[in-house]
Amino acid sequence: MADRFSAFSFVDRITALEPGRRARGRFAVPAGLPKFSTCLVAEAVGQLAAWVAMARAEFRRRPVAALSGEMRIVGEAAPGEILGLGVEIESCDPDAVAYGGWARLADTPVLELRRCVGPMLPLEDFDAPEAVRGDFETLCGPGARPGRFPGIAEPDLALIDRVPGQRLRAAISVPVSAPFFADHFPRRPVFPATLLLDAQIRLALRLAGETLPPAPRLRPARVTDLKMRSFILPGQAVEIETAMRSAADGAAELTLAAMVDGKRVATGRVEIVPRGPA
Amino acid sequence: MMPVEITKDEILAVYPKVAQTMADALGCDVEKVALNVPLIEGLDAESIDFLDIVFRLERAFKVKIPRGKIVEDAQGDLPDAEFERKGYLTEVGLERLRDYLSEVPADRFRLPMKVADIPRLFTPQTFCKVVVRALRAVQGDDSRGRVSEGTGAPNTDG
Repeated sequence: MADRFSAFSFVDRITALEPGRRARGRFAVPAGLPKFSTCLVAEAVGQLAAWVAMARAEFRRRPVAALSGEMRIVGEAAPGEILGLGVEIESCDPDAVAYGGWARLADTPVLELRRCVGPMLPLEDFDAPEAVRGDFETLCGPGARPGRFPGIAEPDLALIDRVPGQRLRAAISVPVSAPFFADHFPRRPVFPATLLLDAQIRLALRLAGETLPPAPRLRPARVTDLKMRSFILPGQAVEIETAMRSAADGAAELTLAAMVDGKRVATGRVEIVPRGPA
Repeated sequence: MMPVEITKDEILAVYPKVAQTMADALGCDVEKVALNVPLIEGLDAESIDFLDIVFRLERAFKVKIPRGKIVEDAQGDLPDAEFERKGYLTEVGLERLRDYLSEVPADRFRLPMKVADIPRLFTPQTFCKVVVRALRAVQGDDSRGRVSEGTGAPNTDG
């Protein structure tokens, strides 16, 4: 149980809460990590929204990641920095929560989420409701102990198909067991959508790098129409694919997909741009 | 409680935007979307797509579409026990559904039918009607006889 509320938890404290409407929070990125993925910044924003939604549902239901209309990536959070988090809930009912949110470093924006929707499912299927309620009270009170997140090893990408400049397909290694499964979620381990997205973006960067004119480095700028169609379970064989949609002016738009047993489990698009002065 | 009939013109007025919304949600070309194509069997829609479609329609038309209400609206004032038993539609329930989803070919309404399988009948036209009702509600068009049971969308638990 040591990994629960730590191995994949990205809100240390809820600093302001208007029940069911909005919240502000913070997360201190542990200083000892080698890096902190932008996808985990998105996870932090999503988790703050989930806390608001679970409290609204009196800890009977919880949202799961499903739809993200737009994710704008404008900066990065480095280990040792403190992320400020904010969410605005558009609607929250027993079936779904719709929200937008952001993450900042002081006054510098890092990431913005728009038009996100999470279906609400029975909380007791995922975790002990009373324990979750207790965690929420901790977050709203003194806050959780910072520095709990131990880091995560990136899943390996093994290329299985390549059409140069057009398409890449890779297998990713979803572990059978990992500390984060004990936190996401204690009663029903699910491979986090944000870790899948991180792998998909890495593959898209590789394909964009083959296609775009030489640039010092490339970075993801925007992820759109992200949709998780079903859960990915520990140890499942997942294939991810990215394909070039368009490339112009040093930037590219690519499609993202993930498959389990030949069935689409996730879809989306990503824009890749050269890293440089804004 | 009988819904006021929705005209073909009303449906065609909202259809282009509904079709584009469906195409965006399902990640397909808008040309693949047709007024009466079944969303699940014809366009590979899944339960999460219905949730996506409902939120996109709400934003596109600036209306509120309560989730899980198509079935509720079809049921109308019929008591639960007369509409369905143990998750299956009764004969009367099926008749109510057939009346409500008048755009769906009659031969698709066959017993036994699970309540959970009702979304298999939905087409873009079903959602055009949902949008028209929602727009009428927004406009408060009492001269048409406002649809008291509201508007609907499939229940999803994806």
